Amino acid sequence: MPAFKTPFNGYAVKFSPFYEQRLAVATSQNFGILGNGRLHVIDLSPAGPIAEIAAFDTADGVYDVSWSESHDSLLIAAVADGSVKLYDLSLPPTSNPVRSLSEHTRETHSVDYNAVRRDSFISSSWDDTIKLWTIDRPTSVRTFKEHAYCVYSAAWNPRHADVFASASGDCTARIWDVREPGSTMILPAHEFEILSCDWNKYDDAIIATSSVDKSIKVWDVRNYRIPVAVLNGHGYAVRKVKFSPHRASVIVSCSYDMTVCMWDYMVEDSLIGRYDHHSEFAVGVDMSVLVEGLLASTGWDELVYVWQHGTDPKAP
Amino acid sequence: MATPPNPTDGNPQSPVPEAVKPMTNEQQDADKGAIKDSSIFVNTEPIREDQVQNAVKFLSHPKVKGSPVMYRRSFLERKGLTKEEIDEAFRRVPDDSPSISTTQTAIATQGGQSQPASNIQPQAPTQSLQPAPAVPASKLGTLTSRQFHWSHALLAVGVLAISGAGTAVVFKNAVVPRLKSWIRKVVHEDVEEDVPDKTDRKPTLAEEAAAAAKAAAAAASDVARASQEMLVSRTEEKKYFGELLSVMDVQLQEMKSMSNSIKKLEGMEEVTFCQSNMQGREVQVTSSRPSSYTNGRADYDSRSARSLSPPPASVEPSANPPHPKSYMEIMSMIQRGERPPNIREINDLPPNPDQPVSNPRLAPKPKPWEGLQSQGSSTFTPENSNGVNYYGQDYGPGTAPASVYQSNGDGSAPWWQQKNVKITEMDTEENKTSHPSGTNERPVQRPSWVPPQPPPVAMAEAAAAIRQPKKSPFEKEQQLTDEQFLARSAEVTDELQRVTKVSESGGVAADGGGAGIPMVTNTDEIQREEEGSYYEA
Repeated sequence: MPAFKTPFNGYAVKFSPFYEQRLAVATSQNFGILGNGRLHVIDLSPAGPIAEIAAFDTADGVYDVSWSESHDSLLIAAVADGSVKLYDLSLPPTSNPVRSLSEHTRETHSVDYNAVRRDSFISSSWDDTIKLWTIDRPTSVRTFKEHAYCVYSAAWNPRHADVFASASGDCTARIWDVREPGSTMILPAHEFEILSCDWNKYDDAIIATSSVDKSIKVWDVRNYRIPVAVLNGHGYAVRKVKFSPHRASVIVSCSYDMTVCMWDYMVEDSLIGRYDHHSEFAVGVDMSVLVEGLLASTGWDELVYVWQHGTDPKAP
Repeated sequence: MATPPNPTDGNPQSPVPEAVKPMTNEQQDADKGAIKDSSIFVNTEPIREDQVQNAVKFLSHPKVKGSPVMYRRSFLERKGLTKEEIDEAFRRVPDDSPSISTTQTAIATQGGQSQPASNIQPQAPTQSLQPAPAVPASKLGTLTSRQFHWSHALLAVGVLAISGAGTAVVFKNAVVPRLKSWIRKVVHEDVEEDVPDKTDRKPTLAEEAAAAAKAAAAAASDVARASQEMLVSRTEEKKYFGELLSVMDVQLQEMKSMSNSIKKLEGMEEVTFCQSNMQGREVQVTSSRPSSYTNGRADYDSRSARSLSPPPASVEPSANPPHPKSYMEIMSMIQRGERPPNIREINDLPPNPDQPVSNPRLAPKPKPWEGLQSQGSSTFTPENSNGVNYYGQDYGPGTAPASVYQSNGDGSAPWWQQKNVKITEMDTEENKTSHPSGTNERPVQRPSWVPPQPPPVAMAEAAAAIRQPKKSPFEKEQQLTDEQFLARSAEVTDELQRVTKVSESGGVAADGGGAGIPMVTNTDEIQREEEGSYYEA
């Protein structure tokens, strides 16, 4: 499996929902502390090496990227200067970015595109807020301000067009409905900062949260006082968690312990795979929606790996 | 603490207006069915009285009253209270607490401007009644005295002037007789004692007059000096007072930052280092990202204090995740105030902010989970769960039908669609037994695997034994009917038998060539079939 070397430290990787061989990679210079950023768009090739088809430089680090679900060439980037930038691959690089939406007062940490409505996306920021945007508007549609600390992640529900969840450093995860003025549920999910959350694609009431406490907890919102499952196994904080688009109970996660783990929370011995290919913090992971079992991960070791589950990511 | 939505969006009531339209009918129906009035994403628990009472006790604690409202709310949320319970607790706590808290927050944030003085004065007596924290009280004291300073100064001026005048008069009355008597003594010493008083008086009168004049002048100069000194001392006092205030402000700030750092240190000991590290990185990041953009928050050390308010957890802290060496170098560089040399000036603004977005070239693809929309949402968990412990092996057949896999034009499938050998083994054997073998030769392993059978669960019975303990919380939620379960278990036993046959027949050769070959065409057919059904859905 080929690897792609980025000049800066990797922060996020996302598969395109349109092209099965295409990925976007968000990177930041100097580990994202202070420096520029770069957004890469790469294509896998049957012959082997990964080719870069576009790269966009930003003044500040890029912390997250999301593909549009409506336009095959649109990308949304979460930039560390608080802005959200839109890039269009169909336009020449000199015309990019097409939009720069600067409303957050702190770093924008994540963006997620609505896969149901396909016309809106949310951005979450260290300024404790989440903002709802549409592509055609220059300003945000709504701002959700309730968290008491940085919101590290926000994810749309895969079935309900108006529902999304957020994970915050105030140790709570919240569920929101854009039609309601405030959050509809507060999950005190962990005793420590919650870094990531994701919905089960096959059961829209199941949500997973990952935290600095090294665990991933799976919750059922209908009975949210007790977690459905607690997945332990990572050695350090779990930076990102993602439900498989193909398997109802499969979760993939990456952690500061430099590993990417795959879990099945319905099984007693939940850990079903562990990949130890990164040599620094593994910070971004994604599963392809178009190709079952295809995984991608990136980390502070400036490498992007793409591999099939069950194979060795570092094998040539 | 739901603040109203961003006023700049201008649409507080209808959050997602025109953009709402494109929704397929199925989705609408499903949404209507699932949400209606009883959305599962809403808390339906009744208010728990014991939790509310605990919260009221917490909120009534004097130390808690000294903290900003945001922290109290966040604490209660972390403890698992719902919004309604928290609101109820806030309602029950005595009324003056919010106003005092806001006053105190005003003091804390505004740093003692005279504006909240009007609020402070009526509060001052109530403050004295309640056990207020020392700092705000002292701040109040300084503030009240500050407010009085000007009228106080005027009063002082008046008092001093009067006292000066009075002193002058007194001096005149006191000094002059003294001088007179002293002059008399002197004169007496000069003149012989037999000189009658009358003669003494005459020269003494003139001398007295001179002396009196001298005395008056001296007194006047004394008075002038005294009043000057008083003026000077008053201005000095004013200055000193101002300096004192500023010094106290500085000390307050220092104490604040000290307490923050103490808290931080405490937090570092008790809390997982990951957390503190994450926060540390972010705090350090915030400190290293100074004013490169308009930042509404001036005090980020309060942020660091906030981040460490989670109480010490039962989780034992582990070692700090080892950071790369260059990371530490960069952090130290930034803390020293240096800027890493490799940063470029980049203009990343859109060259044309009104650039129209290009039209999409591809239609959105259906998601793997959307194909099963009709089956409803909550029933998925049992149907799609796969109890097989497939460590390193592939998942058994039958979750969602595979999404569209384009078969490539060239003969060989791209590497990212190929599974590894071990995984294909199981499936190919299963498929082999269920489908007649073809004769095509293919040099490579089969492409993206496709579940051969629709039945969603394999070996659920075997799995049931494994996941027995886990299942109990689910059973209430599961909407399995008996018939469904029976139907599934029937299919399941078939699968079981097939799988046991597989294991009996033994494994295939490592290259998987023979096994892979025959079923490829069949999977293609199945693919197409499924593709067909897919698009109908």
